[in-house]
Order: sequence, then structure tokens, then C-alpha cells
Amino acid sequence: MQLLIEQINSLLPQTQCGQCGFKGCRPYAKAIAENKADINQCPPGGGDGIAALAELLGVSPKPLNPAFGTHKPKQVAFIIEQDCIGCVKCIAACPVDAILGAAKFMHTVIAAECTGCELCVAPCPVDCIVMQIVDGPDGASKPERAALAKRRYEARESRKAQEAAEKMEKAQLKKAALIKPKPTV
Amino acid sequence: MSELLAIEVAYATPGRQTLIALELPAPATVADAIRASGIQSRFPELANKLLDVGIFGRATTMAHPLKAGDRIEIYRPLIHNPKEARRIRAAK
Repeated sequence: MQLLIEQINSLLPQTQCGQCGFKGCRPYAKAIAENKADINQCPPGGGDGIAALAELLGVSPKPLNPAFGTHKPKQVAFIIEQDCIGCVKCIAACPVDAILGAAKFMHTVIAAECTGCELCVAPCPVDCIVMQIVDGPDGASKPERAALAKRRYEARESRKAQEAAEKMEKAQLKKAALIKPKPTV
Repeated sequence: MSELLAIEVAYATPGRQTLIALELPAPATVADAIRASGIQSRFPELANKLLDVGIFGRATTMAHPLKAGDRIEIYRPLIHNPKEARRIRAAK
């Protein structure tokens, strides 16, 4: 099962956009492997992606389900610096750590790392993020970009999990310190 | 033989984003990473200047110890401070 999930995941574009209804490419791969999702729910993968999945799974390809979105040309996010207020909402939303910045400092999209998932656009309170179509070759090939995005996504996921574990541990220590053992009379 | 920390040093402008991958012997600090990356000599605007730094979106100090996988980031100031930006937006 794990192998099948990895095989499916390796065919997904690693955009991590969540348009398929799952929280990233790997969760979608898992759902496909478990027969909980169809192969035509990934708009960034488009027809080519569906064909590759169909071949791997030995099923016939089908058109992209429009309920999940439409296939668009490759785009990346761009921040309009005049308007950025340094609120970090986009940084929190980016699944692949492609935005550089901190609270009250300028935020900048690292174009080579951006998957074009658009998840940063809606959280911006001042609407300063626009999507720009990448025309022409932009250095890295599609598989190279996908491999990079996969690595960044996984690194971020494990970092977030570790942060959550540390936070929980701290909270428990604090709680334990508050609840003092009853003095024995 | 001390452990090697794989880290990255990053600086970004709208037109050009730079990520420098490095391996530093542990223990190392943010300052060590920035020195080892040579990023200040690549960008004249960063040379001989006190830098605003952070790791993965959180501002920190130059003395902060590094963990493997950290991305040490050099930040630029906002163009308008948020209050001023709000006034500008309100006036529109």
C-alpha cells in the first residue's frame, strides 16, 4: 500500500493546492490508493496527469472533473510591495515555504519555489498578491520542480509536526506546574 | 568529528531570489551561517550593515543556534508601515 501511495504521489504535480479536496498531493495519492477518490480530481496535473495515473492503475483515462477546477498554464505568485503590510498570513498559507518574510518585514515570493497553488492569494488582507503566468522555459523542468516542491512540502510538514509536539509538551508542563500535588495532611 | 548541519541562507528581492545551501559544523549560529554563505559580498545593499534575520518566517537574533534544515532568512523593510499603508488605502 505504501509503495502504491508513493507511486501515485510521484505522478502528481506536487502543487499542494488542495483543489482535489485533500490537503496536498500525498493525501490525495493516499485517497486514490484507498479507492476513496477518483483519478480526475487534479486540475494542475490536467489530462497528462490523469493519463499517467490511469496507466499506473490499469484503468481507462477520463476527462478532468470540472467540479475540482480547470487546468491553467503555469503561474507563480507575485507580491505588490507597495501594498504589503508584513502580516505573515501568506507565509502561513504557503505549503512549500516559497515566501520569504517575517512579521512587519517585506514578504517576497521565491519564484523558483512557487508551485502556483494560489493558496496565498485569499488570506492576504490587502489583496497584494497577484498570479503571473510564467511564459517560456523558466530553468527547471516539470519533474525537477515537482521533486523540489515535494521535498519542501515534506520538510514543512515535519517541521510543523515537531512544532506542534513541542507546543503540546510545553502546555503539559505548564499545566502540571499549575496543578500542585495536594499537601498530605 | 562534529555533526554537519545542512542549512540554507536566503535573501529575496522581487526580481531575484537567492538561496545558498551550506553545511556547517554544529554548533553554529545565524551569524555563522551568514558569514559562511558570503551573501553580504554578493549583495552590496547587505554589506556592512546590521541585518534583520529570521528562520522560516520568524525574526530571530544573530546569536540564535541553528538546527539542521533551517532556512536563515535576511529580511527587507516594508515600503510603508502598516498604519501609513492603511491611511493610504482609506484615502483611495
